[in-house]
Amino acid sequence: MERISPHQFMTLGAAVLMGTTFLPVASMVTGVGGRDGWMSVLPGIAVGIPYGLMVISLLEQYPRKNLLQISETLFGKWIGKIIGVFYISITGYFGGLLLGQAGDIYEVSIMPLTPLGMFYLGGLLLVFYLVWSGIEVFARFSEVIFPIIIIAMVLNIGLSIPRVEQGELMPILSEGIKPLFRGGIKVLPFAMEYILFLAGILSFLPTGKKELGQLKTGVWRAVFLVGILDMLVVLIQILVFGPAETIRLVYGLLVLGKMVEVSRTVAGVESLFLGVWLGALVIKVSAFFFTVTWGLETVFSLKGLKWNLAVGVVFMGIAFKFTRGPSLIMEIGLVDNYLIFPFASIWILTLWGVSRWKKGAGIQ
Amino acid sequence: MKRTNSKPKIGLVLILITCHLFLTGCWGKREVEQLAPLIGEGFDLGEKPGTFLITQQFAKPKTGGETGAEIEDRTFSVEVSNARESIEKISRVTYRTPFMGSLKVIVISEDAAKAGGFNDILDFGQRYSEFRRSMYLVLAKGKAQDILNLKLRAGLLPAMAIKNNIEGADELSSFPTVRLGHYLTILGTKSTAPILPVVESVKTGEGIKYKADGTDEAGEIRIQGAGVLRGDRLVDFLTDEETKGYMWLENYVIHRYIDTVDLEENSVKFGGQVLRSSTKYKVKANNGKIELQYQIKASIAVDEVLGLKKQLSGAEWVELMKGAEKSFAKVIEKECELSIKKERELGLDFLGIGRHIEQRNSAYWKTIKDHWEEEIKDFPISLDVQVTVHHTGMSSSSAINSGGEGQE
Repeated sequence: MERISPHQFMTLGAAVLMGTTFLPVASMVTGVGGRDGWMSVLPGIAVGIPYGLMVISLLEQYPRKNLLQISETLFGKWIGKIIGVFYISITGYFGGLLLGQAGDIYEVSIMPLTPLGMFYLGGLLLVFYLVWSGIEVFARFSEVIFPIIIIAMVLNIGLSIPRVEQGELMPILSEGIKPLFRGGIKVLPFAMEYILFLAGILSFLPTGKKELGQLKTGVWRAVFLVGILDMLVVLIQILVFGPAETIRLVYGLLVLGKMVEVSRTVAGVESLFLGVWLGALVIKVSAFFFTVTWGLETVFSLKGLKWNLAVGVVFMGIAFKFTRGPSLIMEIGLVDNYLIFPFASIWILTLWGVSRWKKGAGIQ
Repeated sequence: MKRTNSKPKIGLVLILITCHLFLTGCWGKREVEQLAPLIGEGFDLGEKPGTFLITQQFAKPKTGGETGAEIEDRTFSVEVSNARESIEKISRVTYRTPFMGSLKVIVISEDAAKAGGFNDILDFGQRYSEFRRSMYLVLAKGKAQDILNLKLRAGLLPAMAIKNNIEGADELSSFPTVRLGHYLTILGTKSTAPILPVVESVKTGEGIKYKADGTDEAGEIRIQGAGVLRGDRLVDFLTDEETKGYMWLENYVIHRYIDTVDLEENSVKFGGQVLRSSTKYKVKANNGKIELQYQIKASIAVDEVLGLKKQLSGAEWVELMKGAEKSFAKVIEKECELSIKKERELGLDFLGIGRHIEQRNSAYWKTIKDHWEEEIKDFPISLDVQVTVHHTGMSSSSAINSGGEGQE
């Protein structure tokens, strides 16, 4: 059985949680939270901490089992399998949509004439290779790529500071704190995407007492790191574009990347940023590919190359179904808000609650 | 997944290699030699209603030039109803594919700006991915086409000359620098009226004299003053002084040349350079009314003293410079007042006063924002200008004529 270390769990978790959230997050939270939307990002993503800790506590109780197996144990075989079918369907559909987003991002920004299928195929081949290599290689891939993603993002934010407009952040909290709640709700699904990945990766995590402590710390660190980075991404966009433009821009950070100039000499570095962000997208799509394969193995005992190929074909099919960019963006939002968020939040809470109750009542 | 069987792995690697071969082709790839870099673009009104005359200025590297940086002018104008159409029509004669990522300046003619609606034609510039929001926007006195077709004496493309003027403007701080991104941000505020600097061609004798090349054509280009817009419609121009007032009030002054020659009350006049300046805003209650106070602090180096008739002692020199500080403050106040007066006359908040109030007293702003344009006309504004003369150059006092000639 493959195993990943607590450090790999932290970086992999952070990379999956981040994914490409930094691209739509500013438009999403500013759209509902206005000028103060940036303040809602960290608290919204921080909801991942209690949920992550619940998942780790379930691991403590049921070592080397993923949440689908634990669900079968706690809720019975059939309910467990129904949950598994939901899990596979939602994560598979979402993974396919994210693969589609790879095409949308690159077609919109730097390669408008390249057929979408090439982006899907190129992305999927990388994903397939990672899935084929196993969770250990995937974790190592994240350990290498994630710091580069962070550096690219920090550079993009930092080099955009000369473009900051006077006073765009003010007034603060002029509309009270209600907009913050609305913004927070928008980012909650990001945390739940992460939780769905944790639900599957559990069986690859160490279960020693010391390691469990490190895993809990890993959850905290991953959530705070991504929450702070996403918050800074929103903040810089509001500072540079103002709230009205931040809402209007589909991929605001890409536009910022295009505005980066160093000493009026170096410009056009957005392609470098985009190259790095392909890594983020591949990590996120791979994570959901993994969740589907884990689900198929747990619920239907289906595993092996042919089933992986089948998942790949499904991902491609979903991506090809949404070749219209605006429809794709809307669909990702709908799946986030109305499938991932309610499913993950209710499932994990119920599972954790039932396990606590059964433990308290002495039922195994 | 276990890696027990090597056959699928080999197959996967083969697929990867095959796909990689295809991927390197990059659909849409264009060799740099095949590109025509667009440097400047101009919008004029077309002859047919609903059309624009779009002028595009491309840079073509000069063959056999002394340096690799020498470029030739390739400028085309077409009458079209949308920006994409202009690309199509011009591409037919450029022999190369226009590349928009290099666009530096968009020049909007006075007529096109007065007619309004140029945001429609700008939409392509902010939507199509090749463009950058860091390009500059300027208004043209007269036709944009004429500006871009000028043969400048320096041999520069007009678009490059405008760009160079703008990028060197920090030394003068006499007109605003407006990038496309800034313009769109200002439009998004709703309460603030956008403002664009004005570019004009300069013939010899029009404020400056130079040796013309024998034709009646202008050989130089100048950026001076600004145009105030309501949305994307030009309402009026600001004079040079009004624009300078705007620069103080909006905290855009970095360095500047300034003199007190026009002040009548003092016989000794001063010229100097603003070393640094900052403008702060205070919204406060005054006699039961909310007012906005501008607090401008400027540090100036005096590098010219005119009309001094006698040598001064050290103490007298210090006193004179204290007087200079007051004189400079009066000049700054005058420029700011002219700008504020213009804002009240136009009923358009190009100074962004509404945003300053919103930032500092959002509750009060909510009560007036719906009728803000009415409020502008008599909204209380005060100025607090403080000038410090940091030094007076390489000498104290002034050279005095020897007795007799020119000496009182």
